[in-house]
Amino acid sequence: MKSLILQTATRYLFPLLVLYSVFLLVRGHHEPGGGFIGGLMAAAPIALCALAYDVDVARNLLPLRPIRLLALGLATAAGVSIGALFMGRPLLTGSWVELPMPGGGVLDLGTPLLFDLGIYLVVLGVVTQIIFSLATKSPLHWERDES
Amino acid sequence: MNLVTVLPIVIPLVTAIVSLFAWRSLRVQRWISLAGAAGLLGSAVALLVAVRAGGIQATQIGDWPAPYGITFVADHLTATMVLLAGIIGMAVVPYSCASVDREQEEAAYHPLLHVLLMGVCGAFLTGDLFNLYVWFEVMLISSFVLMGLGGRRPQLEGALKYVALNLIASFIFLVSVGLLYAAVGTLNMADLATRVPDLDRGIATSLAMSFLVAFGVKAAVFPLFFWLPASYHTQPAAVAAIFAGLLTKVGVYAMFRVFTLVFVLRDVGATQTLLLVLSMLTMVTGVLGAVAQNELRRLLSFHIISQIGYMVVALALFTPLSIAAGVFFVAHNTLAKSTLFLVSGVVERRRGTYDLDRLGGTYRESPWLALLFALPALALAGIPPLSGFVAKLEIVQAGLEADAYIAVATALAVSLLTLFSMSKIWNAVFWQPPPASEPPPRRPPAGERWLMECPTAVMAAFTVVVGLAAGPLFGWTQAAADELLGPFGPSGYVERVLGEQR
Amino acid sequence: MTLFFLAPFLLAPLLPLLDRWFGNKAGWLIACVPILIGIYYGDLWWSLPAGEERTSVSWAWAPQLGLRLTLMIDGLGLFFVLLITAVGALVSIYASGYLAGHDRLGRFHAYMMFFMGAMLGIVLAGNLLTLYMCWELTSLASFLLIGFDNERREARAAATQALVTTAVGGLCLLAGFVLLGLAADSFELTDVLARKDAIQRHGSYPAIVVLVLIGAFTKSAQFPFHFWLPNAMEAPTPVSAYLHSATMVKAGIFLVARLTPALGGTPLWAGTLTTVGAVTMFVGAYLAFFEHDLKGVLAYLTINVLGTLMMLLGFGTPLAVQAAMVYLVAHALYKGALFLVAGIVDHATGTRDLRKMAGLIRRLPLTGAVALAAALSMAGVAPTFGYVAKEVFLDAVWHAPFVPILLTVVSVVSSILLVAGAGRVGIGPFFGRPTQDECDPPGMTMQVAPLVLAVAGVVTGLAPQTLMGPLLGPALEPIAGEPVKMYLTLWHGVGVPFVLSLVVLAAGIACYIVRGSLQRHLAGSLAVARWGPAKWYEWSLAGLYWVADWQTRMLQPGRLPRYVFVTSSVLLLLTIEEIVLRGGLREHYPGIDVRPHEAFAAVLIPAAALVAAASRSRLASVAALGVVGYGVAWLFSIFSAPDLAATQIVIESLTVILFVLAFARLPKYTLASSPRRRLRDALLAGAVGIVLTLLLLQATHEPHPPPISEWYVEHSVPAAHGRNIVNVILVDFRALDTLGEITVLATAAIGVWMLVRLSAQAPAKREGYE
Repeated sequence: MKSLILQTATRYLFPLLVLYSVFLLVRGHHEPGGGFIGGLMAAAPIALCALAYDVDVARNLLPLRPIRLLALGLATAAGVSIGALFMGRPLLTGSWVELPMPGGGVLDLGTPLLFDLGIYLVVLGVVTQIIFSLATKSPLHWERDES
Repeated sequence: MNLVTVLPIVIPLVTAIVSLFAWRSLRVQRWISLAGAAGLLGSAVALLVAVRAGGIQATQIGDWPAPYGITFVADHLTATMVLLAGIIGMAVVPYSCASVDREQEEAAYHPLLHVLLMGVCGAFLTGDLFNLYVWFEVMLISSFVLMGLGGRRPQLEGALKYVALNLIASFIFLVSVGLLYAAVGTLNMADLATRVPDLDRGIATSLAMSFLVAFGVKAAVFPLFFWLPASYHTQPAAVAAIFAGLLTKVGVYAMFRVFTLVFVLRDVGATQTLLLVLSMLTMVTGVLGAVAQNELRRLLSFHIISQIGYMVVALALFTPLSIAAGVFFVAHNTLAKSTLFLVSGVVERRRGTYDLDRLGGTYRESPWLALLFALPALALAGIPPLSGFVAKLEIVQAGLEADAYIAVATALAVSLLTLFSMSKIWNAVFWQPPPASEPPPRRPPAGERWLMECPTAVMAAFTVVVGLAAGPLFGWTQAAADELLGPFGPSGYVERVLGEQR
Repeated sequence: MTLFFLAPFLLAPLLPLLDRWFGNKAGWLIACVPILIGIYYGDLWWSLPAGEERTSVSWAWAPQLGLRLTLMIDGLGLFFVLLITAVGALVSIYASGYLAGHDRLGRFHAYMMFFMGAMLGIVLAGNLLTLYMCWELTSLASFLLIGFDNERREARAAATQALVTTAVGGLCLLAGFVLLGLAADSFELTDVLARKDAIQRHGSYPAIVVLVLIGAFTKSAQFPFHFWLPNAMEAPTPVSAYLHSATMVKAGIFLVARLTPALGGTPLWAGTLTTVGAVTMFVGAYLAFFEHDLKGVLAYLTINVLGTLMMLLGFGTPLAVQAAMVYLVAHALYKGALFLVAGIVDHATGTRDLRKMAGLIRRLPLTGAVALAAALSMAGVAPTFGYVAKEVFLDAVWHAPFVPILLTVVSVVSSILLVAGAGRVGIGPFFGRPTQDECDPPGMTMQVAPLVLAVAGVVTGLAPQTLMGPLLGPALEPIAGEPVKMYLTLWHGVGVPFVLSLVVLAAGIACYIVRGSLQRHLAGSLAVARWGPAKWYEWSLAGLYWVADWQTRMLQPGRLPRYVFVTSSVLLLLTIEEIVLRGGLREHYPGIDVRPHEAFAAVLIPAAALVAAASRSRLASVAALGVVGYGVAWLFSIFSAPDLAATQIVIESLTVILFVLAFARLPKYTLASSPRRRLRDALLAGAVGIVLTLLLLQATHEPHPPPISEWYVEHSVPAAHGRNIVNVILVDFRALDTLGEITVLATAAIGVWMLVRLSAQAPAKREGYE
């Protein structure tokens, strides 16, 4: 099922989808979006690649192995959660900084956004991991009942 | 800000993540895992000390006031349960290093183990009903993956039944939480405790029943226990030990919590009577199931069910003494049961089988191992002065005080059958000469023996210590019962949680 | 006191070492322990003012439960202490000869010491629960000792049988003690004994009596629980002599004696004890007559004596109580000696079959003399202590408070059989023409103990009051509750007991002489015994296994659909009642107005779900499931949660893709269930769905304080810096839930990764399957 149309479409869609996923992540705190949908959106082009080309191609597109990605995501989320403890505040307490922006606006940055990034990475890692695992060529070889 | 209440989930989480990063080196993973288990045990002790000293501890996660954020609460019950999780974790980690197949151990065994511990501790600590659901999920997925890790067909079959039935329970739990939220508009258990009494009795009873079904599956209560005998006997002893010690106990814990705090058991229709009947049937069917088995792990698995019956009967009696007895029983049983599974693993490493007909001769060859088995086995059967005796005595006293004669008679008859099936194991594994067709026992290397038998020995020693220190320990459990039932109901808990608002 | 109480338990683990260092001499050393303990308690008691007891709370174990380690010594306790320690010392010397060279002799000594500690605990307990603890420990020790020769199947079976039978009693005892403690409002023995009236007026008094007595009966091998004792003869002979004749089986007697002041004096108590005791007495003597195994005869005769003692305690008169204690001493002396003799004979000849033994006195002269002396005491021939005992026994029966004639007849018949039994074990094997040529003479270590016991049996008979009076008198007091005047003498004068005694002796001797033909003539009656309680035990065991197998097959057939069905049914049954029958159909749902696009979802989702369930093609099912998911997304968007809707859509799409990927690996689709079962499942599923819907409808119409969600709306922007409430809840307000859920996701992915990785390695690693 290596269709040329799909491959071509993938080539064009890929950067768009990746950008869109980041966009969803960033704006999530105020507008519809967020880490979950962002992560899924980021996984979509990888899945597309796996379908259009090959799992190995898709694998190479990821900067890290999926398992690392999800470990990193978990670490980020957990780090954010635990960070509050070191500041003497309860687990998961958010901290915010307000950066004045040129043009009178204020950029509100807080640890919940980092937490969302963690979600993003975990979801991306999970979905790609599952896709890669299932799309790997070798079929499952379960032992026949031993008993 | 209350560090001790969150450390029991933070430490396993960090351990799991760090060892996930170290997945290339099993050696490093093992050390991390060991350190994490030690840390968990340490934090559990700290939690208990804090609760003993300062009463109920609470922390508002994210600094959001209750009931809007999630609250972590630790009373005596919670602290006891977390301590048990810590002890078992500490025993199982070194034991696993020597006994789990290398292939399986490399397959993220240690991270999963700590995720499981995190889920268990989270379930004990959370004061929020939906959050409890989340921890159940964490436990379920990590235990499922641990079960499947062996990759052998019977394991996967068992794991499939396990996950299917537990997912149904999770679904029922989730629906019940949703319905309860729809009916009263809050999820914090302390807040629920203030709102549920105003709820229409009919709907409250229905909801209590559906929670009963959800937790009943988790706790393996009759007639919802199918998943347990279907899956536990396929596991490596280390995994079975941690499952046996903790998984069902989380269901029991949830029952204790929800039916003392959210739905006060005696106020929700026939739930109390129903629970009493179910608990008796659980005791009986569990032990009869055990009698019918001829495989060590299967036999022990059915005993778990039977023992769950004792804990639930204690809850169902719903007197201060019985609740204290129930908590004591949970503690005793968690330790004794895990120890038995650990011992079964040691036997298996020597003999290569769990089949009672093929075992034997261990008494002559290793009296030491016989002792390690005898202590928890006798404790389970309630022989004094071990832990199970005190637990049984408490339940008998509580039952007779409450005039629940049938329940007491059932409990005693079941403990007779327990003793009987323990003597069956003893005869088969230790006393009888091994069949001539069996190969000579394997002599495990010293390192393996240290790693496996030391934790087992310490755990076995607990059955003695818990029995002998019953006075002070029963004091704890009475404190736990006072917090749960108390002279004024669970108002202390509610005040501590909701009063935390800044 | 605590130290001496604990000493046996603490020393027991050290004995194997002692055995390793001193070999056969260890028995003598070990014998010092009981002697010292006996001296200590004796001294302790004799330094007390007359008629008092000393109680000491050694350790408040769990005082909230009444669980205290309390020790108490009084005349009764001391009497048993001396019995236990004296026989214990002798037996440990004997054992090191009997088991000389056995590779687990050290362990044997350890178990015996452990048993002695527990047994001492029973008689010294000052708290019901302390007593219970020691009671169970003796059962445990008995289990280990009966099964000492663990590689023999019979020994294991007998050990289990003894354990189970005594455990039945133990559990009854526990229940009885707890009831007794609740009735007396204390578990301390001194309190319990002082509160007779309160206990006997209490509603649970009958239950207490029945439960406590069942405990005593199982331990003391009373009918119908007697069957374990003959089987327990599988144990090495020192165990039979010590546990199953001299001490442990007397625990039930002790218990009844101990609790008489609190529980005794009612028709229930006296009637039960007398009936069961008399039946046991007769059954024991009768069965002994047909037994040919030396130890078996001794075991049945022990049962006979235990029955006698129970019966005497049941009378409750001072005379009967006195008779019981005297009889107990006599029995301990002669039966101990005979058991030890049996061990020697067994060792020497290699058989225990009475029919194969004769003329042994030429080879074993000392043993033969001992056996003769003990048998005379057993038969109640003057001037032994057994004679004294038999006189008081018959006297007490003759003066029994109820049905004296009947009881006298039964007692006389039993005694005749006892005399015959004495002849069979004490005379038969040693006289006549020898049948055995080979014979290993026993060593000194094995000769001492039976000799001492037999000599004591004769000497105490010569001067009973002087030698036994100071010991027995104080022992009676705690039972009778008042000082008892007792006077023991060899010569009572010609009275009814004397005449009965002569009758018994004469008839017994006659019985012994014609034993062969009697046994043949009466053998038919044994058919009854074959269907007796031993058979009941077998039947209940078989029944237990049958029921266990049956219920396990029923409950745990191994089929997942069945499990799911039951689980769902339980949910339905438990929720349906309140909802449908009591309140569910009330006029509760006013003004449900459905808008068209909502109706669309409401039709679409169930329809798609039906398709998913009914379809025979996996692909169609998955597609239909996808439609369900999109329908839910539609609902989300209607209720203004666009990002949830978007997430849902993406998830559904991915799920479909994953399903399709997974299908490649699945076997062909087959229909596993019958149409009937599918219909049944569909009905159940539908019913659960309907009930849950009704529940939901009712729940949403419950009035309640403002839900927490309103607070989220208010605080999202000012406190949490976010306008997207859903996201703020996810990453801030309830971020812990999210943390848990991403852990779940990550774990699932790890699981998939590992499973696939493991199975990818499989062909290489696992013997090249396919």
